[in-house]
Amino acid sequence: MFETINILLKQNIRNIKTKIKESPVLYLVFLIMMIFSILVFSFTTYFLQIIETKIDVSLNDLYFIIFFIFFVKSAVDFYNSFIKSDNVLYPLSTEVSHKRTISEIFLSILIINLIIWFSFSGLYLFFLSFFRIEIFYPFEYLNFFIGVLSGVFLGITISINFFSPKRYRLIPTVILLAFFYYVNEPLFITLTCPLSFLHLLWSIRNAMESHKYIRRKERLKEKSEIKIRSVIKSLFYRETTIIWRDKLFYSFVSISSFVGLSTGYLYVYGDELFIPERLLELYSGFLPSVFVFIGVFVVVIYTAVFPSLNLFLNEEKTMWIIRHLPLSDDSLVFGKTSTLILCFVAAIPFIPYTTVFLGIEKIIFLSWFLAYSFIAGVIVSVPLGVKYVGKKSDIMLLYSVSMILFGILGFGAIFGSYIESRIDYYLWVYLLILIIEAFVLFLSLKISTRILRVKYS
Amino acid sequence: MIEINNVTKYYGKIHALRDVSLKFNDSQVISIMGENGAGKSTLLKICVGILPFDSGEVIVDGYSIKKNSIKARERIGYLPEMPEMYDRLTGREFLFYIASLRKIKNAEDKIDEITKNIGINNFLDYEIGTYSKGMKQKISITTAIMHEPSNLLLDEPVYGLDPLTSRRIQDFIKRNNGSTVIATHSTQLVEQVSDFVYIIMRGKVVLYDKVENLLKKHGSIEDAYFHTKDEINV
Repeated sequence: MFETINILLKQNIRNIKTKIKESPVLYLVFLIMMIFSILVFSFTTYFLQIIETKIDVSLNDLYFIIFFIFFVKSAVDFYNSFIKSDNVLYPLSTEVSHKRTISEIFLSILIINLIIWFSFSGLYLFFLSFFRIEIFYPFEYLNFFIGVLSGVFLGITISINFFSPKRYRLIPTVILLAFFYYVNEPLFITLTCPLSFLHLLWSIRNAMESHKYIRRKERLKEKSEIKIRSVIKSLFYRETTIIWRDKLFYSFVSISSFVGLSTGYLYVYGDELFIPERLLELYSGFLPSVFVFIGVFVVVIYTAVFPSLNLFLNEEKTMWIIRHLPLSDDSLVFGKTSTLILCFVAAIPFIPYTTVFLGIEKIIFLSWFLAYSFIAGVIVSVPLGVKYVGKKSDIMLLYSVSMILFGILGFGAIFGSYIESRIDYYLWVYLLILIIEAFVLFLSLKISTRILRVKYS
Repeated sequence: MIEINNVTKYYGKIHALRDVSLKFNDSQVISIMGENGAGKSTLLKICVGILPFDSGEVIVDGYSIKKNSIKARERIGYLPEMPEMYDRLTGREFLFYIASLRKIKNAEDKIDEITKNIGINNFLDYEIGTYSKGMKQKISITTAIMHEPSNLLLDEPVYGLDPLTSRRIQDFIKRNNGSTVIATHSTQLVEQVSDFVYIIMRGKVVLYDKVENLLKKHGSIEDAYFHTKDEINV
């Protein structure tokens, strides 16, 4: 009885234990940060109670935030533990009914989420009592608790039905969510919790179908992608597959979006935040440009320099694969470098996020400067990556490249701003600069080819 | 056919190969033996073109590995001693990647045939990072032979393999029409598949003979090896 729950809970606990053993400092810091965040959250509550501010956070807002967090978390949990899981094949292959196995997976997710809810809410209430705030609100707490339950039920339901071949099964969930949004009343979610539960029970009956459908789809997708390609396309496919599977692409996109937002925010409010009021008149207007420069610099280091260096630096042990094949050094360098197109695509979110703050009139300069900086990053990094294959000096290299790039980008920023303000046909000048850069990039790749040839002959 | 003429290789101050000259003819299986660090793997890597050397010349089917390296590498199949591969690719993706780079025709059929024969076909859709040493070896063997090279360079080919696969690899080596060069410590493998044996010590070839002759003279390759080693030490 409950073998699957036992195993899943054990696996989760052991995972945490192993991670703590492997990197105790990291997890200690993580734990401290979590407790600290709850403390800050409690303090904010206290602060909002004693001081009148323009910020208006209602209990309803908090309820919906918590509901949404558990809704998303349980959807992801169920996807990882059942829909896409390989481990689940073992319990599914035994004589235990599939429905029971899936119900046990649901229960294990419910238990884990409730443990998280009780520990976090308990700690929050403890800190509130520490600030001498009344915490005895049993009805509200029950309301929140049932909200968490509903979030978990609907999260799992949406995970099952979203990946089902029959997507119309999502309709009841969508209708419920639409009602939640329309009524905008926590009590409504609480009262409809039995309905969410019934919907979950109905969905569990169809969960096996979703699991099989996703696995079949993955198999077909993988098979259709595995085929004979041209040399350059093969190299491109190999590199991008690894970027994709290591989740680097998501990481690039999130970093460029986050840096874009921060840059834009600092562009608008940076002066007030960092320059003392009495110096504001003197230095106003200087910092915003610096923030844009630093924003582009950070995005380029992360999305251009880091992957360009690693195209070859990481190949130490696998160099035999590409070197023993009848490939020209040109194909190798150009094929691998073509992967950076994907990295450039990942850097693009920086532009819209920054433009929201800077204004649409800056979009041309921003786009040009990002493209210029990206290409400059690749020009400097690829030959150095080839030169130092397997030298284990990537941090030093990254630092050196960053310093060189700082100069090149600084020059570009000043020059770009100057021609934009002085020359009417500045767009053509921008284009000309990019064409010249593309030619320099070609030379840089040729130099990399030469370095590779000398290194191995 | 591979000709190695006066090849010298240094690793810093260490003299890894000293003026080595060898010839591997077609339809012959040649084994290279020697203690750890003698220069066997270095010699194979030089023949494949993945390791630069200081002086000398390597010719593969008439093409210099330095001057015509692409033509030379087209004619070589290579199995490294410790096959490191891309862990995040599946076995199938990796084999198709190599087949694409080698521009092999009918790659799918060839991959199917070889992987079935050596018993790895059921694991091709798993990521290589999850493979055991033997499974990686099987994938690596497939990459070495799928383009039907005229020269096969195998570094410890049966190390880590199960007995059945090991037997199949040995049968394949015996059937191969081109030259097959094996760097190995296994005297049993040498006796079973090789026509000739080279013994290298401290970067120099100290013995070259037919396996048949050595067996007649010493009774076993192991005895021949120790006898040669003793002679050198004296």
